[in-house]
Amino acid sequence: MSYRRMFLVLAVAYIASFTTGARAADEPVIPPDEFVYCTVCHGVQMKGNPNIQAPRLSGMDKTYIERQLRAFKTGWRGTHENDLVGMEMRPMAAILSDAQITAAARYVNAVSSEPPPLTIDGDAGRGETHYASCAACHGAGGEGVPAVGGPPLTGLNDWYLARQLSNFKDGTRGSSPGDAYGAQMRAATATLMDDVAIRDVVTYINSLQSR
Amino acid sequence: MNRPLSRRHFLSLVGAAGGSTAILQTGLALGLLPDTGPLRLADVQPAGNTNKRVLVLGAGMSGLAVAYELERRGFECTVIEASKRIGGRNLTLRSGDEVDEMGYSQVCEFDDKPHLYFNAGPARIPGHHKLVLHYCREFEIPLETYVNDNRNAYTQDDKAFGGKPVRIREYVTDARGFMSELLYKAVDRDVFDRPLSAGDKERILAFATAYGDLKEQGRYSGSDRAGYKSGGFVEHGELKDIHELSDLLDSDFWRYRMHFTEGEDQAMPVMQPIGGMDMIVKAFGKNIRSPIHTNAQVQSIQLQTNGVDVIYNHKGRRKKISGDYCFNCIPHHLLSGIYNNFSKEYAEALAAVEEGHLLKIGLQMKQRFWEADNIYGGISWTSQPIEQIWYPTHGIHAEKGVMLGAYTFGEEHGQFFERMTPEERIKSAIAQGEKIHPGYGSYVDCGVSVPWARMNHQMGCNARWSPDLRDSKFKLLQDPDGRHYIMGDQISYHSGWQEGALASAHHAMADMNQRILAESSAATATG
Repeated sequence: MSYRRMFLVLAVAYIASFTTGARAADEPVIPPDEFVYCTVCHGVQMKGNPNIQAPRLSGMDKTYIERQLRAFKTGWRGTHENDLVGMEMRPMAAILSDAQITAAARYVNAVSSEPPPLTIDGDAGRGETHYASCAACHGAGGEGVPAVGGPPLTGLNDWYLARQLSNFKDGTRGSSPGDAYGAQMRAATATLMDDVAIRDVVTYINSLQSR
Repeated sequence: MNRPLSRRHFLSLVGAAGGSTAILQTGLALGLLPDTGPLRLADVQPAGNTNKRVLVLGAGMSGLAVAYELERRGFECTVIEASKRIGGRNLTLRSGDEVDEMGYSQVCEFDDKPHLYFNAGPARIPGHHKLVLHYCREFEIPLETYVNDNRNAYTQDDKAFGGKPVRIREYVTDARGFMSELLYKAVDRDVFDRPLSAGDKERILAFATAYGDLKEQGRYSGSDRAGYKSGGFVEHGELKDIHELSDLLDSDFWRYRMHFTEGEDQAMPVMQPIGGMDMIVKAFGKNIRSPIHTNAQVQSIQLQTNGVDVIYNHKGRRKKISGDYCFNCIPHHLLSGIYNNFSKEYAEALAAVEEGHLLKIGLQMKQRFWEADNIYGGISWTSQPIEQIWYPTHGIHAEKGVMLGAYTFGEEHGQFFERMTPEERIKSAIAQGEKIHPGYGSYVDCGVSVPWARMNHQMGCNARWSPDLRDSKFKLLQDPDGRHYIMGDQISYHSGWQEGALASAHHAMADMNQRILAESSAATATG
């Protein structure tokens, strides 16, 4: 492990212990009955379950969650033949009314859990170079840019980020007509040449979580 | 060399050709090795005045068995179940039942009649599944035989016989005939490196003749085993035509479906509770006095030095409960979504086992048309994604019947149906069934599909252990982590079977008993 990498891990561990301690006073949110099933796959407090490839969603941006639930509902997401995981998700969103979509997003935004574990170990330096073109929409610190509809990238499972980048790149996600944000991401991921580039940029995004 | 072909000598010949697995399996067949042995109930000492508290997570078969056994021995048990009902994957669907699939909640629309039910989970109890049968006996659950094999049923393969269904009776008779003819000719012409003794040769030729119903000079020219084309009762019986060997080989049927009921778990006879497999669940529910909390979702499992703390949500409140021991049958792949402090190795082992995609479809038929086609129970097989059609053994000659319209063993076939809406699945199952029974769709009243990898609080069936994973992780998970036992069919060599779940539960209880005894003797020694 490089010194840079070790520092990163220690820093994340330190901040994780701090935030966990700070949150101990927070009362965990009991999901409304109608959304208990979300936690069957996404885990307690939506903390994620890598075993079944269900990402951490705790505290995610409300607007973005609503948009994605609508994307699943309309079929922009979860209909591509290679997107088996997306297809698993789609029926859950398809049954939600507009009011329920808003309520689900509010619930997801209200819950918290410790930061996700780091599982991808690429070259953050190279990743920083790739990230330069991401910053316009996702913010220099990955905090998101609401004005252009770019969601925050921090707090997501790194394996999930990598899968989505790969999905955008090969057209599994973002190819549906009408999915303007998806089309933007398709174009943006074209600059990531291969899986190594994806790992590198995700490693850099990981480093943003600790800042 | 004219010494008689002893069983051990035969085994050494087979072993040289097939390796040790062949020896083991042949040895079992010849009765040289022990079978599954006697009933092994966990020997658990009464808790006495130690007042041991036990937490049972999940009210599947193993959880129910633990609660039932331990409360009778004075342990204070609490069962915490996430779903609305107990029984786990032991699920029988009847009129009005909810099918709790994620995103696609369905209601079972069968008519309300005792014989119109569908076992969407386990459906057969073989004679050596001693624990399941033990509880059926203990709870006085009436059983009936379940027909698992029927030569009058069909095999259909798009790549053979022009895609037309063929009676299994015809296929098996012709396949045995051709294979016997090959054996007869090989033995008759002394093609082996070492000659057989005259006596052995004579008997093997006779065996081949009997096995394949061969005619003079070892020729296979059809057999009444395949059934008659016409006549046979008051008129001369006309034998069915022989199928082409190439057609038999083009069909996939010989790969495993033809031999399906040779396996110990599938061999006839098997049994089923009269009225539905969930009679076992109902009996456990009736006989367990400990509290069983349904709609109670576990949030956290924390191992402590001398016990286990569990947090769960129930009726809109967050509750904490502590136990001296915890028996957990929550699906292993859902545990990493629940807060826990399992050891790293234990958590990694839980994550390493993959989940299968078994799916069943039940169809209520207006008429028991298969009985008019000489089929009373059993299974038809097809190369299509539905893979199987089961004809109900119960309700024979009633007006209607619920048949199984699909049971997918292959992951690809399971996912083929998972991607569809429930309506699309029924439509697809009907279209596939048409290739076996023309007019199939016209009999369908309604249908219900149960994709276990999409069922709420399950998200998979069944745990898939590769041989490597068995070697490296099974023992680790079979042993407790602290005072926490993970159990169920997932922690057995019979994944997907109730017997696996019960055997795993009894194994865990026996282990706990040993620990309690060891602790009390240590306490006595130091006290």
